[in-house]
Amino acid sequence: MDTLLHHLSWPRFIMSRCFGRFNYLLFFFAFIIIAIDSNATPKVESVAITVSGKVTDETGLPIPGVNILEKGTTNGTSSDSDGNYTLNLTNENAVLTFSFIGYATKEVPVGSQTTINVSLAPDTKTLEEIVVTALGIEKSSKSLGYATSKVTSDQIAVNRSTNMMNTLQGKIAGVNISSLGTGPAGTSKIRIRGQSSINGQNGPLIVVNGVPIDNTNFGTNQGNTAGDGNNSVGNRGAGASTDGGDGLQGINPDDIESMSVLKGSTAAALYGSRAQNGVIMITTKSRGTNKGVGVTYNMNYTDETILDYTDYQKVYGQGEYGAGPASPNAAPNPNTGQWSWGPKILPGMTQILFDGQGSNANIPYVAQNGILKQFYRNGQNLTNTVSLSTNGDKGGMNLSVGNLDSKGVTPNNSYTRNTINLGFGYDLNEKLSFKGNINYSNEYNKNPPVVSDQDNSIPTSLYAMANTMPLDVLKANAYNAGGGEFNYSRFTNRTNPYWVLNEVKQNIRRDRIFGNISAKYDIAKWLYAQVRVGQDYWSRDQDYINLPTGKASINSSSIYSANAAGFYNGVFTQESRRFRETNVDFLLSATKTFGDFGLNVTAGGNQMYRRFDTNSVQVTDFVVKGLYTVQNGRLKDPTYDLNERAVNSLYGSAEVNYKKFLYLNITGRNDWFSTLSPGHRDVFYPSISTSYVFTESFSSKPGWLDFGKFRAAYAQAGSDGDVGAYNNKLYYGVNAAQFGGQAVGNYSNLVVPNSQLHPMKLYETEVGLELKMLDGRVGIDVAAYNKLTVDQIIPVQISDASGFTNTKLNLGQSQSRGIELMLNLVPVRTSNFQWDFTFTGAYNITKVLKLFTTKPGENITVGTHVFDGFVQQIVGKELGQIVGYGFRRDDGSINPDHKGMMVFSSSTFNDDNRPLPTLQPISFGSALPKWVGGFNNAFNYKGVLVSFLIDFKLGGKVLSGTNFNAMRHGLSKETLVGREGGALDPSGNDPGKIVGVGVDVNSNVNTGSAKVEDYYSVVRSQHIIEPVIYNAGYWKLRQVTIGYDFTKFLGSKSPIKSLRLSFVANNVLMLKKWIPNVDPESFSYTSDNVVGLESPSVPTTRSLGFNLNVKF
Amino acid sequence: MKKIINYLLLSISLVLMISCDKGFDELNTSKTGVISLDPAFVLNNAIINSFSSAVGTSTLTYEMPIVQQMFSSNTGVLFGGNFNQTSFSNTVLNWTNYFQNSINYSSDVISRTKNDAKRTNLYNMARIIKANAFMILTQTYGDVPYSEAATGYTNNNFFPKYDTQQSIYADIIKELTEASGALDPSGTIETSDVLYSGNIVKWKKLGYSLLLRAGMRLTKADPTTAQATVVAAFAGGVMISNADNAIIKYDANFGNGIGTTLTGTEAANFHLAQPFVDFLKNSSDPRLAAIAVRYVGAKSGADQAAQITAGTGDKTAANQYGLPVGSTDGNANGAGGSLPGGGTQFAFTQADRTRVVKKTSPMFIVTAGQTNLLLAEAAFLGWIPGGFVAASNYFAAGVTAHMNQMASYDPGSAIAAADITAYFAIPANQLTVGTELKQIGEQYWVASFLHGPEAWANFRRTGYPALTPNPSSGSEVPGGFINRLSYPPSEILVNSTNVQAAISVQGPDNLATKMWLFK
Repeated sequence: MDTLLHHLSWPRFIMSRCFGRFNYLLFFFAFIIIAIDSNATPKVESVAITVSGKVTDETGLPIPGVNILEKGTTNGTSSDSDGNYTLNLTNENAVLTFSFIGYATKEVPVGSQTTINVSLAPDTKTLEEIVVTALGIEKSSKSLGYATSKVTSDQIAVNRSTNMMNTLQGKIAGVNISSLGTGPAGTSKIRIRGQSSINGQNGPLIVVNGVPIDNTNFGTNQGNTAGDGNNSVGNRGAGASTDGGDGLQGINPDDIESMSVLKGSTAAALYGSRAQNGVIMITTKSRGTNKGVGVTYNMNYTDETILDYTDYQKVYGQGEYGAGPASPNAAPNPNTGQWSWGPKILPGMTQILFDGQGSNANIPYVAQNGILKQFYRNGQNLTNTVSLSTNGDKGGMNLSVGNLDSKGVTPNNSYTRNTINLGFGYDLNEKLSFKGNINYSNEYNKNPPVVSDQDNSIPTSLYAMANTMPLDVLKANAYNAGGGEFNYSRFTNRTNPYWVLNEVKQNIRRDRIFGNISAKYDIAKWLYAQVRVGQDYWSRDQDYINLPTGKASINSSSIYSANAAGFYNGVFTQESRRFRETNVDFLLSATKTFGDFGLNVTAGGNQMYRRFDTNSVQVTDFVVKGLYTVQNGRLKDPTYDLNERAVNSLYGSAEVNYKKFLYLNITGRNDWFSTLSPGHRDVFYPSISTSYVFTESFSSKPGWLDFGKFRAAYAQAGSDGDVGAYNNKLYYGVNAAQFGGQAVGNYSNLVVPNSQLHPMKLYETEVGLELKMLDGRVGIDVAAYNKLTVDQIIPVQISDASGFTNTKLNLGQSQSRGIELMLNLVPVRTSNFQWDFTFTGAYNITKVLKLFTTKPGENITVGTHVFDGFVQQIVGKELGQIVGYGFRRDDGSINPDHKGMMVFSSSTFNDDNRPLPTLQPISFGSALPKWVGGFNNAFNYKGVLVSFLIDFKLGGKVLSGTNFNAMRHGLSKETLVGREGGALDPSGNDPGKIVGVGVDVNSNVNTGSAKVEDYYSVVRSQHIIEPVIYNAGYWKLRQVTIGYDFTKFLGSKSPIKSLRLSFVANNVLMLKKWIPNVDPESFSYTSDNVVGLESPSVPTTRSLGFNLNVKF
Repeated sequence: MKKIINYLLLSISLVLMISCDKGFDELNTSKTGVISLDPAFVLNNAIINSFSSAVGTSTLTYEMPIVQQMFSSNTGVLFGGNFNQTSFSNTVLNWTNYFQNSINYSSDVISRTKNDAKRTNLYNMARIIKANAFMILTQTYGDVPYSEAATGYTNNNFFPKYDTQQSIYADIIKELTEASGALDPSGTIETSDVLYSGNIVKWKKLGYSLLLRAGMRLTKADPTTAQATVVAAFAGGVMISNADNAIIKYDANFGNGIGTTLTGTEAANFHLAQPFVDFLKNSSDPRLAAIAVRYVGAKSGADQAAQITAGTGDKTAANQYGLPVGSTDGNANGAGGSLPGGGTQFAFTQADRTRVVKKTSPMFIVTAGQTNLLLAEAAFLGWIPGGFVAASNYFAAGVTAHMNQMASYDPGSAIAAADITAYFAIPANQLTVGTELKQIGEQYWVASFLHGPEAWANFRRTGYPALTPNPSSGSEVPGGFINRLSYPPSEILVNSTNVQAAISVQGPDNLATKMWLFK
């Protein structure tokens, strides 16, 4: 009867596929029913033979988790924490295979034995490491024709950061990770093999347990004119540039079992479009390592202190043009709080601040030191995770509950995260097995700091604060009598940090649940089918308050108020977002051996559907002062946005091997994108890769060479990534107001849809070599690649006569080339001491080959700095050029001797001979680093593990907004030139003058002077950014970890099975940098394309703490 | 066997599940966006943008300073026509506004109603609106994209070619002739029409009046076509009564472009130009008192505002003083000081922001005043019957219609019948043998006050009024008048092949090059 039912259901199911929404639950259960129903194989009867024993390593220590299998059957078990195992055999002539990653597999015929103790030897000769590849398929690493990197859970969990990806900086060859200076819940920017997209997305695909999850970032996107809006969501309204984090931060590192990074397109060819920038594959824990129930408790605590790299001048204090804050804010000397162009600081001097009210009339005029440390507090991060796991013959599970409490260094900023992770696997019968995992997280990010902006940004104000402004005075005078900001500077956009701390609020709450469930059915020994359904769902509520720019005030009486008379200032925004992505896939895989040849064929398909809803309401004109609710606002502007997209895919791969040393792998994938127009909707892309383990093909090989493999791969990939939903149709809008009682229609925007858009394509070739030598003491893995990206979809300005302003065209081309190297050395290995050295490094360079045409110099602007300068993509140059005005130089046409000299204006006004800007903006080089890497030294002395990691990024440029301000505000030490010993005016109040070395526009030697304040303010007044362009490179002592495993001191009766304690330090020491006053890593723009534009962000921190891991 | 069937079914369904991209069209259609909108609503947008705020800014910064009706001495954002110089931010305004709005939206309506037998009236209304927009565009820039214009969505033509002004005019005449003829009062009435509330008879008159305008525009370039066109338009029936005027009745939400600027941040910086004030003053024209106001002794915008609040602005015609053409802030301030009552530049006469250039002031696209004056010229030329008598009647009717039009701006601008009678009692104000074209041209200039593109076009065609070239020192057309505006820099950048082809035919892309119509 049930058979009849499900047979009847099939046609309907098929119909439903083509003509309605796919019911994947029905599909999933149909699969299960068939699988169970078809399981006609008789149950395996156990024979009455039981074998037991202990598995140890070469030193005699037990190895838990060793896989013990009765050869030729699926009957098996694994060793427990003491290395012991017991197995009931099904065959009297059984042979047991003992396998464990990192050890040589051993086969033992049982014969008449009932106790078999086995000692496994480390496997250094053949690297049978298992790598999780695309679609979650596990493969032996030696079969892979492309580069992958594996990350162990310890690398993520012991010495950690709140966004777990940030912990991996410098640890993976070819992977560039940047943490941002935006608070504990900030975004982690990940670039694998550089970035290649001219205008779109560059982040990798994040896959958890085989199914993609969302990694949208919410953040500071001001100035972003690029088309990466799909993956990067900014705040509505101005003055709220905060980093709302990304998708990865919701993952508790304690739940991660392993991670592998698929770097090239070949590795990603089966993941399709979204994997064009590489894939990060995360496998979470799904069963215990020991038989029975295991409990693990992990505690991690770190204390963070901010790093103050400012090295400002302390010779001249607050003021302008040589005059300090004297009489109560009278012209020409109003509140100068953001200017340090005052008189020379001499003992006993005083200044009048805040109108001289109260005790403010007589403030000592002395340089302030360490105001950053004064303002910011110590951050604290505490993570507690308890996990419960079981493991058995049929399956196992892992359940963990974790909590992260993080206090940001900004005094009102905190972040908490609660996670529950459940992973399980169970073999229902001999043929049918299930696996699944569910991850729930609940996050609350309170007051992520406002960064980068002029307004309401604490870092912007602090980094440019006049050097004689005492913070306690600033704090005491934050408010004026009416409750508005008591302005301390005529530069009113630089809001008092203490006012911001109290008045600018934001709350972000996110609930997220993602996971998948899969069923695998072994149709035959050589054939299995798998169905998997995964979903990532989150809801995110955010509210924030902005205040009017300049003279921050919540009063209606303020002349700066934007509100209607009688109502109070402010903008309150409340947003609610819901996101859902479902992935349904199936896989059929066959593996057979024909003599010396092995064959594996896999075919599958995936259906991805994504929906994103946003409700937002913004209100202004408050009825009651200081109450920020939607109800309290008079003007309300609600919006609703819905975005849906889908990708359907079919793919397949075939792997042939010859004697398991020569592998050939071919893949193909076809994607259909809902975002494109019919006829241009699908793209097919193949890949081919080969792996040749030459050490196994030689009849005899040199003794020093343990393992050698050569690999080569070619792949294509296609993507619609830069096209949003609904971009192929023109939509109308209706004006909110009627005209003469009639409706007025329009187009919703003037970007004309281009129905001819087709997926962009990427072609990547890579070769690699892996060597293991000298008994595993030397390991080398080197890769080189060449990646060409064509038909990139870029926004193009079109003729207004077309009726529209812009469209998108398949025009862009870029090329990335690079080398990756991983080197492992064991310089010392004795019974008591081992020194492991690991170097990872990568060189990448990406050039723009074509925009509209291949004409060199053609450019598009993808980002604009909040102060001055842009990021452009320029044909013929490296991606990510920093562009702006430089100093104008004499061209030598009048006087060849003057060629290259700076040109100054020859003003008719006195003291105004300032540097002139170039006639056109010029490019200062690429912001992208060329060299990224690190080296790690790990020392193990009798179980004491000490390791330190040094990492580097070199070869990029940065436009520093902090130094831009330091320069124009007179804080840079450079600005002392001209003040000290300058031509002082006899009247006294003179800032000094400077006679620029150079010529005037007529190539006469410049003799005219300029006031120092004006001279150095050309960064702003003339938009000359040249003086604040720096080498963005750095060398850092990134991590130090000292750990000890106390397990051996625990008695065998102890309930504690293992105890490990590690002391950790992160961001320990800056070894070398080229940019003054800031950490070259302190960026705050989350947007993909806005690179190299530094503007004041929360100072980076050094964290110290410990990690405790206890297993019961 | 059962197993095999199962697997087969499973496999087939899996393949179907994936390869089927059905539903993608629906999925990729926004549930919150409007896919189809009644084209009548879209036409309303085209109508409103027949004179948008951008065109208002262009009128203030180029057309009216060129024809010396309004003037700013400001060298900042307002510079352009006042100093005979190119200011790209202002020269592009007509281009972007008409292509992106009036032409784009009327083209949308045309393409969606072309084959709809029920909406032929809407189709023809849209053709008329589009023709009006193109007349303004081509008389601003000369050769412009026409045949391929506004096909960015329909044909994915992002870089349209340019057509010659001659061919554009030929097609405009064809379009206006066909559309006006095809409008059918017994057909579907478009009740949501914001121009005439669906009154097809009035639409017909608008179509023929624009045809008359197009025909007269050709008197210099192609007199034969001009005459034939004028005859056809006259026969079709043009607007001769103010009741037929094409008026965009702006409101608080859709502000009058000129009024918005003149009541906004630039309120204090525009003045009536001396030649315009003097012309009206010298002819005892009652329209001066209807249009003008002077804030005697004002030294700042705040002083002006105070007088507005107090209601003390001087509207007496005799007390009006226009700002000398070519004034800069410096000499205008000095000149203001020597006015009766003193002050600075802010003491010169302005168009009254409380009456004719309010934010909610109506904009007159085509008026009976203008049409009567064109008929006077046609009668004078002998293209329509009646000779001088008819010409002088049309002339008087045109001037009278414009005087009566003043009341539409504001009750405070209404001109009493007695004042009109008194005006015509002066012999010099009647059409006089020997000075017909001069008088008609001067009156057309006054009747087109605030409609900068029309005033400028007729000035270039007829040479009237005979104005003295702007003496500004930085003039890009020394000793002359601006003949056209430059193409937008974006065209030079992105549509370079086509625009360069046009430049090679028409002449250098500057303010001096004369276009075919006015050679």
